[in-house]
Amino acid sequence: MSDVCLPEDKLSLKDSLTVRGINRRKFLKFCSTMVATLALPPKYVAQVATALSNVKRPILVWLEFSDCAGNSESMLRATSPSIAEMVLDLLSLEYHEVLMAGSGKYADAVLQRVMRENDGKYIAVVEGAIPLADGGVYCTIGGRTAIDIATQVCKGALATIAVGACAWDGGIVRANPNPTGGVGVEEAVPGIKVVNLGGCPHNPANTAAVLTHYLTFNEMPALDRYSRPLFAYGRVIHDQCERRAHYDAGRFVQEWGDEGHRRGWCLYKMGCKGPQATYNCPTVRWNDATSWPVKSGHGCISCASPRFWDTRSPFYNRIPDVAGFGVDVPVSEIGWALTGAVTAATLAHGIGQAIRTRFRPPQEATAETEADVSLTGSS
Amino acid sequence: MASGTVNARIRPEASWVRVYVWQLPVRLAHWILVGCLVVLSFTGIYIHNPFIVAVSDRSWVMGTMRFIHVMSGFVLISALIWRFYWFFAGNRWARWDQFVPFTKERRSAMKNMMEYYGFLRWWPAPQVGHNPLAGAAYCAVFGLLIIEILTGLALFDNILGNRVLHSFIGWLTLLINLQYLRMIHFGIMFLFGAFLIHHVYSAILISKEERSGLMDSIFTGYKYISPARLSREGVGERVERH
Ligand code: SF4
Repeated sequence: MSDVCLPEDKLSLKDSLTVRGINRRKFLKFCSTMVATLALPPKYVAQVATALSNVKRPILVWLEFSDCAGNSESMLRATSPSIAEMVLDLLSLEYHEVLMAGSGKYADAVLQRVMRENDGKYIAVVEGAIPLADGGVYCTIGGRTAIDIATQVCKGALATIAVGACAWDGGIVRANPNPTGGVGVEEAVPGIKVVNLGGCPHNPANTAAVLTHYLTFNEMPALDRYSRPLFAYGRVIHDQCERRAHYDAGRFVQEWGDEGHRRGWCLYKMGCKGPQATYNCPTVRWNDATSWPVKSGHGCISCASPRFWDTRSPFYNRIPDVAGFGVDVPVSEIGWALTGAVTAATLAHGIGQAIRTRFRPPQEATAETEADVSLTGSS
Repeated sequence: MASGTVNARIRPEASWVRVYVWQLPVRLAHWILVGCLVVLSFTGIYIHNPFIVAVSDRSWVMGTMRFIHVMSGFVLISALIWRFYWFFAGNRWARWDQFVPFTKERRSAMKNMMEYYGFLRWWPAPQVGHNPLAGAAYCAVFGLLIIEILTGLALFDNILGNRVLHSFIGWLTLLINLQYLRMIHFGIMFLFGAFLIHHVYSAILISKEERSGLMDSIFTGYKYISPARLSREGVGERVERH
């Protein structure tokens, strides 16, 4: 393993790209994409290109814990001119269980070597949640618990990038009832510098943009209150959606496959969570900016929002069900039932009142005089 | 007013005193709140579940609904702030202490009202202003309005991206997830609906029982009160007599 990797480490990025047959045109195209993703003005393309050409490739370690490997997949599924290709070339990806040839103790040795030789200089990418229940036994690699490995690797890293919902806030692993006590990296290893790239999976374009930002400006991009980069998580999906005009006009898909669905109307009534999701999904898109869920006809499930499995489900309803009312009881049903009950009670009272007025004695004939009311009071 | 109702026969109503109970700001705030709640509920139900499906190229249904919803939300906030100011600047029946039964007398009158509603008493206890039970109900309504305003502003903050609004209300989405805020915001609307039904019923009921012109008073501000009741409440010079 290490024999294969070492020579390339010594190359500058520019040389490394040349070795891999990536021409300048392709490279500049990549730089423009990154600048656009970062929402920077076009004049930065030159700066990014210069910086990336001269920079020494940063060492990257990719850790994978409780998850489905979807973030690795997402990175690898991009095609040419590939962001993945660029990222893999931009970085010296030293350790990645899914991708590396070595396994077992050899793989482990690589990780230890990288940490030893590059202490405080490598970037750790974490994919997957970290289970904490029962001493973290629900995810172990080579006999070590995820929390043990994450603590060691992330504490020695220059920065940690949490990719995907699981690494950010626990994702599906943490979803109710969370038997393994899974949490995100930031929570599992407090005190480290984390950039969260939520989403199920993460969008590799954003991950590449974060790294590009770091390599160009030598700092991580501006983050929001969940430590997510603002350039990717700063805007509501609904405000960037191509179906938005249909929303404002009031043209909604009522049923899957109906006339409105075929004509590309808004998916709001089908449970689209675009209005409560912030992400750059509609502009960056997936599979080389081919499409994104809403464009392909399915509502947004708000996968880049906090605790989305719990808070955004049911995915096909507008708002969550009320706890304690069983499955599939929407708030509206409870609300209408309550209103109905009050109406019924009021009617019943009205009937009771009508009966009372027939029988009751005149007020002064009862003991309930005005004095009676005040007597119990102060004066 | 015990004497009141009965006693049209014994004591003619002409002897009752016409009292200016609800000042203009109270009545205005009341009707603005009513109007806003009706408009907000209608547009809110539409925003929750758009039941009008537009087909024309020119339509702007959801856009209009949302615009009206947000605007009437701000009108409601203004009306409520005005009413809260009047808690301190208004007359004795507009004051904040009318909404929480602080005194022993008001607590016993509240119990009395509960007994009346529960058919344990023949007649309701008379009051010049709000009866203490109704006052407590309005206190709950004010509380619900505040929750609606806070959740509404938090939801608005989510789409507006305004720094001032965000620093005012942005913390709420950290405490309670946006989706649950949305659920609360929607669910409370039904409580207003339920309240409205009961409120109109009890207003008509008590108006008939007291014969004080309670129903008219929310338009005109004047109620008819028996002199006995007035002296008991210690109402002096501020009463307008006709
Ligand atoms: S499809 Fe979803 S994101 Fe797009 S306009 Fe409709 S509700 Fe908003």
